[in-house]
Amino acid sequence: MFTLDPRTKLFLAVVANSVILSAPIAYSALMFAVPAVLLLFERKWKFVLVFFSVYLTAALGFEHLKTMDVGRVGTLGVSTMMIVSHMMPIGIVLYYVMQTTKVNEFLAAMARMHVPNKLTIPLTVMIRFFPTVFDEARAIGHAMRMRGIRLFSLRTLRNPFSILEYRLVPLLVSITKIGDELSIAAVTRGLSPETKRTCVATIGFHVQDLIVFVYCIFVATCFVIASRAKQSIIDIISALFS
Amino acid sequence: MNISLKNVSFSYTDSLYDAVIKDLNLEIRSGECVILAGESGCGKTTISKLINGLIPHYHSGTMSGDVLLGEKNTADMTLAEISRFVGSVFQNPRSQFFNIDTDSEITFGCENLGMPREEILQRVDAVVKEFRLEHLMGRNIFHLSGGEKQKIACASVAATGPEIFVLDEPSANLDLKSVADLAEIVARWKKAGKTVVVVEHRIHYLREIADRICYVKDGHVAYEWTPAQLEAKGAEYAANLGLRCVNLKQLKNKAPELAEGPEGSKDPAKQSLNEILVFYDLHFAYNRKFPVLDIPVLSLPRNQITALIGHNGAGKSTLAQVLCGLCEAWRQKRKVRKYGAYLIMQDVNHQLFTESVLEEVLLGMDPPNEKAALEILAGLNLEQCAYEHPMALSGGQKQRVAIGSGVSSGRDIVVFDEPTSGLDYRQMLAVSATLQKLAASGKTLLVITHDPEFILNCCSNIIRMEHGKIAEQYPLQGNQEKLVQEMTSFNYSS
Repeated sequence: MFTLDPRTKLFLAVVANSVILSAPIAYSALMFAVPAVLLLFERKWKFVLVFFSVYLTAALGFEHLKTMDVGRVGTLGVSTMMIVSHMMPIGIVLYYVMQTTKVNEFLAAMARMHVPNKLTIPLTVMIRFFPTVFDEARAIGHAMRMRGIRLFSLRTLRNPFSILEYRLVPLLVSITKIGDELSIAAVTRGLSPETKRTCVATIGFHVQDLIVFVYCIFVATCFVIASRAKQSIIDIISALFS
Repeated sequence: MNISLKNVSFSYTDSLYDAVIKDLNLEIRSGECVILAGESGCGKTTISKLINGLIPHYHSGTMSGDVLLGEKNTADMTLAEISRFVGSVFQNPRSQFFNIDTDSEITFGCENLGMPREEILQRVDAVVKEFRLEHLMGRNIFHLSGGEKQKIACASVAATGPEIFVLDEPSANLDLKSVADLAEIVARWKKAGKTVVVVEHRIHYLREIADRICYVKDGHVAYEWTPAQLEAKGAEYAANLGLRCVNLKQLKNKAPELAEGPEGSKDPAKQSLNEILVFYDLHFAYNRKFPVLDIPVLSLPRNQITALIGHNGAGKSTLAQVLCGLCEAWRQKRKVRKYGAYLIMQDVNHQLFTESVLEEVLLGMDPPNEKAALEILAGLNLEQCAYEHPMALSGGQKQRVAIGSGVSSGRDIVVFDEPTSGLDYRQMLAVSATLQKLAASGKTLLVITHDPEFILNCCSNIIRMEHGKIAEQYPLQGNQEKLVQEMTSFNYSS
């Protein structure tokens, strides 16, 4: 297995996301390649294929069309491409971190970095919280399909906000309940900010961590040097608003 | 370790005027196994929270009196300290875990107590052997069945070696085989000299283990029996107090008397008129090699209630989902959606979307017809809360709203997924009355259930599934004994 230390994952999340948000496509694609490759190691072939090709299409489309005059509708399309190419990789990096980090390892990593428990515990709850919420959302989706409420139907087109309501009301009700039950599960098992806990999970840096670190730093440095020379981010931003 | 509750009163609000627990005195000796029974809302879960310290440390409210664990007052301890002595197992397998994988979950409690690493690993090894969990290690908790989850929950609590175990309706989501496993665990704890407090409607599985049954009513202990004393008082006595049957073997004797439906839907003359609905080619698999569901022909008697039994993982829920068109069947001749079954989920919160009960029923209608919707609600005794928000209703009412939405959608087949899990006797009777009414009004019902008492009460046919196939199908009439036998012996499931 190709497992990374949770600290490497945090580093990856911070560096990859800042580069993807600010750099031109060449750099952000190089950065996005990291979570894509890591997810391939997790055997998520289809997931990577779909999202990487969506990303490439959106990013290339945006790069080509951003300076052209495409009219009002075209602008809408181009800005959608921009949002997809910038936001989706961030979502995928976070997805990778959430999917592969065990609560246990995460707690151990935070303790190694001397992060106070008061900050660590809420972050840990998040790791546990999202999969549970997705599980709930799937069950609600089933219920809606059975009722014949679909995303694209006459009824929902007539009242587009209803779909939001139908999805969110039951989800919010169950989310508040899940949050409560999870904290009860934690406190009755003795998790508290005051006591010092041992960590059984073995974490540590290996070759793969080094590779990810060096690669990320390399790409980020290249980007910084290149942008110093040409100031291309400002070009991009000004092109966007002209 | 002794537990003593002295003159305890508690209310979730600011004043003791509307207290849930009133002047409770309860003494539980070290090494005792005590069941707290009683109808829903009687305050028995609150008592369990008093013992594990969630009250007064987690839930806010007003409290008077003292809860002592050994010599120490829980009010003077922190939750982390209490968790050294008291281990808690809860009803809902969904969210009583803090970790996503089984290994971390079992070590979690020990780590929180700051035990040395080697000791934790030793304890985990011991617990895994004791509970025979080898095959469950390293698994994702979301992929376990209800019984497996409950086993992991018990094991992870046991790993820290607390003196007291508090279990809040641990059997509510389990099939009878898993319930038997649970009983074995409780028996082992008792043998090791631990104090065990179980909050339960279902007493039968602890019949030979428990020392005392405390019947809680209006926030205090109204009666106390040993299991043998309660059993001697007879099934009717227990039923009047809202308790589930004490001994499943007694069921076959009392069954015929209770099987009388209120609507006369069991009238044999009417039964003979019934046709049969036939479904062909119900197959489903996640991959070609392992079919989860493999049913060439399924026949359901129209306008009757059919119980679908079988152990966890036999494919019952998959069958329900295929019938409702939620999974695409593997190879099918016609679109399954045409079968048009409507599923009432175990957690009905998932299927209530709108702002009022009336709207909930109108949503499925095409075109919406308010008068007809109100008629449906009246049939389910919901007309007085037609304009209330569904989420503000009680569990039973929510379930009836979900049924109402199924009726209004005009589906002929309604599938229920464990409608009676965690219900006391009275609520169970109410559900079976609703179901019988529904059947009498021309719907065909298929009920997934692990509840023999409920089946004897209102179902007329039994289908038993095994490994994704139908193992047996028979009418209940005359086969009561066989059913109880089958559900209480667990050989068939392995």
